[in-house]
Amino acid sequence: MEAHTPHDLDHLAPRDTDWEANISAWVDGEADLRAEELDNPYGRQVWDTYHLIGDVMRSADLAIRPSDRFYARLSAAVAAEPVVATSVAWWRRPAARQTFAGLAMAAAVASVVWVNWSALLGPQPVDTAPRLALATDVEPAPLTGTDVRLDGYMAAHRAMTGGAPIRQVAFDPMGQH
Amino acid sequence: MSGLCLGFRLGVLLWLGSLVPLAQAQDTLPADHPLSALTQIQNAARTLDYAGITVYQQGRSLQAAQLVHWVDGSGERERFETLDGVPRECLRENRSEQCLYPDQRLVVHRTVGADHFPALLQADPGLISQHYEWRPALGTYRVAGRDCMVSELAARDTLRYSYRLCTDLENHLLLRTQTFDQHGHLVDQLAFSRLKLSPDIKPADMASRHDVQGWTVHQEIHRSVDLLAQGWRFALPPGFRPQAEITYQANAGQSVDQLVISDGLAAISIFVETFDPQRDQNLQEGSLRQGAINIYRMRLATYWLTAMGEVPAQTVRDVVHAAQYVSKTVR
Repeated sequence: MEAHTPHDLDHLAPRDTDWEANISAWVDGEADLRAEELDNPYGRQVWDTYHLIGDVMRSADLAIRPSDRFYARLSAAVAAEPVVATSVAWWRRPAARQTFAGLAMAAAVASVVWVNWSALLGPQPVDTAPRLALATDVEPAPLTGTDVRLDGYMAAHRAMTGGAPIRQVAFDPMGQH
Repeated sequence: MSGLCLGFRLGVLLWLGSLVPLAQAQDTLPADHPLSALTQIQNAARTLDYAGITVYQQGRSLQAAQLVHWVDGSGERERFETLDGVPRECLRENRSEQCLYPDQRLVVHRTVGADHFPALLQADPGLISQHYEWRPALGTYRVAGRDCMVSELAARDTLRYSYRLCTDLENHLLLRTQTFDQHGHLVDQLAFSRLKLSPDIKPADMASRHDVQGWTVHQEIHRSVDLLAQGWRFALPPGFRPQAEITYQANAGQSVDQLVISDGLAAISIFVETFDPQRDQNLQEGSLRQGAINIYRMRLATYWLTAMGEVPAQTVRDVVHAAQYVSKTVR
């Protein structure tokens, strides 16, 4: 096995947070502001830009009605953005903010969020397969059957984190069913 | 408007970034380090000769196993055999292990990535003190007829479990370990119920009693994989560091990528598998607990993402929800 050493895997870990991200999060009401990191020309420019966006959103008088060509270019630009699939964005965000954003936000959500909506919004199809609790449950459901794929994962997890099935739980009713 | 889109994306990245940066791994701790006792436990498990019965208890289920560990000129050897329920037998020589599944007439060869009980550490012990409080020498107790010292590793947050250990007074071998959740409820425990140190082990004691002629032999081959290059971004829970990044062929033939992370004591595997509409019709998203292991599975883009580990349910859920996949076509 040629598993990487921990040091080789640095690239997978999150990088130190960008201070632009802090401004964004602070504007969104999701983090404390670190004022000392803003005190440079670029920081002040970003600060002003974020406030200008906020002012325009609050007052229609400050806004310019963009042309249809602008919307076309914007759509093209959004389409060219990398597609990032994540589940974090929408549910960690206060719902109220999403109502402000209009079409551009909708486009962003469409390109950023790519989760299985059926599990979150609608009833699950009825089947006889072993069922897992809905994703919104924090407390796990009791094991009601076996899932071949999870068994395979369990063996792989054990192989990488301690070999022999020493912590194996036998859900074994001593031959009685 | 596009500024707000930017803010939206950066908001996501902030959450990814609010984690501690990677520390360089170190193998052992200096003798005067408060956690050097953990290194002693690890060394005792690896260097002593012992034979005994281990008992694992979780909820209403109990499983006894026979464990023989022997060190000679070629390194470590170990024989493990379950005594209750479905028979399983594993023979290990250093990092290479073969497990026998008599009910399936199957032999699986694999390389193991870490030690199990009575070893304790999954990774760099230097990681541990940030996220666990070490409470040494809380009193003495008796396990398997031997006197041991009770100590605790208390989790500093709710992302991980706490542990109570009892280590042999003479040689630091771990005799019993108990896992507790944030409410102080026992999650599981593992202990020697019988132990013989420096037993007279003959080569025959290490041999399997099964004749495996005619059994199916499966060689698990793990290749390293670059999940970053495939477009994956993971935000690990505080204190967890990547340990291995591999890919393997599952029994059904499909390839599975596995990222193993650990905070030094607990380990989580994150599995990535392609979603197949034909095959995966009945697969459900959601959470599941099996023993002390919590599992969380979710579909992300055209993939199944499953996190599994000896951590609270919320931790595996967070790991999966924080993952991002950047489509190959636009990278």
